[in-house]
Amino acid sequence: MSAIRGKGALIPFQAASGGLMLLIVAAMAFLACFALAGALATTRIAATWTEGLAGAATVRIDANEDDRARRTSLVLDILRDTEGIIDARALNERDVAELLTPWFGGTPDLGELPAPGIVAVTLDTENEPDPTVVQARLDGAGAGAIYDDHGRWRGRAAKAARAIGNLSWWALVLTVLAIAAAAFLVISIAMVAHKGTIEALRLAGAEDRFVAGLYQKRFFWLGALGGLIGSGVALTAFVGLDALSSVRAALPMLDAPYYWPFAWLGIVLACALVAVLAARLAVLTTLRRRG
Amino acid sequence: MIQFENVGFRYKRGPEVLQNVNLEIPAGSFQFITGESGAGKSSLLRLLFLDEVPTSGRISLFGRDVTTLTRDEIAWFRRRIGVVFQDFRLLDHLSAAENVALPLTVSGARETAYRDNVTEMLQWVGLGDKMEVRPPELSGGEKQRVAIARAVVASPDIILADEPTGSVDPAMAERIMALFVEMNRLGKTVLFASHDLAMIEQYKLPITTLRDGTVSSGMGAAA
Ligand SMILES: Nc1ncnc2c1ncn2[C@@H]1O[C@H](COP(=O)(O)OP(=O)(O)O)[C@@H](O)[C@H]1O
Ligand SMILES: [Mg+2]
Repeated sequence: MSAIRGKGALIPFQAASGGLMLLIVAAMAFLACFALAGALATTRIAATWTEGLAGAATVRIDANEDDRARRTSLVLDILRDTEGIIDARALNERDVAELLTPWFGGTPDLGELPAPGIVAVTLDTENEPDPTVVQARLDGAGAGAIYDDHGRWRGRAAKAARAIGNLSWWALVLTVLAIAAAAFLVISIAMVAHKGTIEALRLAGAEDRFVAGLYQKRFFWLGALGGLIGSGVALTAFVGLDALSSVRAALPMLDAPYYWPFAWLGIVLACALVAVLAARLAVLTTLRRRG
Repeated sequence: MIQFENVGFRYKRGPEVLQNVNLEIPAGSFQFITGESGAGKSSLLRLLFLDEVPTSGRISLFGRDVTTLTRDEIAWFRRRIGVVFQDFRLLDHLSAAENVALPLTVSGARETAYRDNVTEMLQWVGLGDKMEVRPPELSGGEKQRVAIARAVVASPDIILADEPTGSVDPAMAERIMALFVEMNRLGKTVLFASHDLAMIEQYKLPITTLRDGTVSSGMGAAA
């Protein structure tokens, strides 16, 4: 019998307020996806950097050409005798020229330049030597060489990654707050229009949580649908836009495609959940305030 | 079941509507409440379905002081009270059948469980063919009958009827009156407010008269 529809018909919801909510949630979900991708990609990129830099060190020998050979062999002796160093190899001029190419824009003629002597050091990553100890040994032998294990760069890369990661998480928190605030506002306004209906429900014996449930149900679907649309557009952009290929490459979940539907579902459910909780809070506080 | 002790009541602004009202209505009784227009009949019923609270004195309902009830308890008490409002208070966006079903829907009952009850009630008040019609397309008398069907459909312990025959013809009025008497016979407590002394005096039932804010009791003469 169609004369009695379910609970869903009890409150005459306006299509306009639903559309507004949908738009806000979709926009927020879209932004949240980029924030999330940013956080994941940054973490991944930072890990690659630090991994690439780990296990290697360099020693720079500033000396004129006559002295350089002697000092280089002195340095190599010391390094090969140091625990935690697997290998030390002096780079020849060609190697050095290659290393410097990006800065000179063409292969430099090192004969004209006071190019430093460089020793490439391979470290035992399980047991890296303390750089200050290595430096002290080099100084003690009067090698006039500078040991660099890239610790400063590694530290900076990690710090930058953490900072960007943190900002991304804050962006997610703001997204959640924005969805909650939108739901709260839309419901507070709607409840003014529904005042008579809500009063009639209360007089018929409805508990506050029953009234809240009617709004929660609607906002669950608005949240889920908005989340689906917003994240759908964002994911399509990730997959489809060539300009984003490097972001895509850095997203760890691409390594495991089965991960995607769950991540997507998670975003959609998170949007729905936030909308539902905000709806409940908005309805219960409004009802109590009205008394 | 219903007990008024020195109850005084006034709206936020305005004079005293009820003063020093003492009233005891035992479970299962039928009580007319009469008085001129503006005497406070609707206000008295409003206190009983917990839409207002007394400004002084004490009202006890189902053995509880009404001022001590939580919001949930108020909801639960209202499920045991069916009300026919003087102004009907139907929801315009719902069909007649949905309006009648409202007390059942809000208490969490399933539609399949009460569908037949609702149909039967609407047929009983002569609106079996108007189940899907919305209140704006119903006449005053038809709205009143929908309101009556809604008040009794959940089989409440107390029925409060505020001028429930005010908008219907005499034949329907008699039918409605018979419905309330039948409900009372089934053990429900019925409070029937009406300014129509000529109508209610036909029944040999207790009459409480409101005048100048206070009550006096009497008895109708059997027709
Ligand atoms: N919501 C209200 N606010 C202020 N005064 C009201 C309100 N409702 C009724 N009154 C006043 O209370 C008095 C009693 O009204 P009411 O209980 O409706 O009487 P009755 O139902 O016997 O005609 C009247 O003087 C009326 O004007
Ligand atoms: Mg009245």
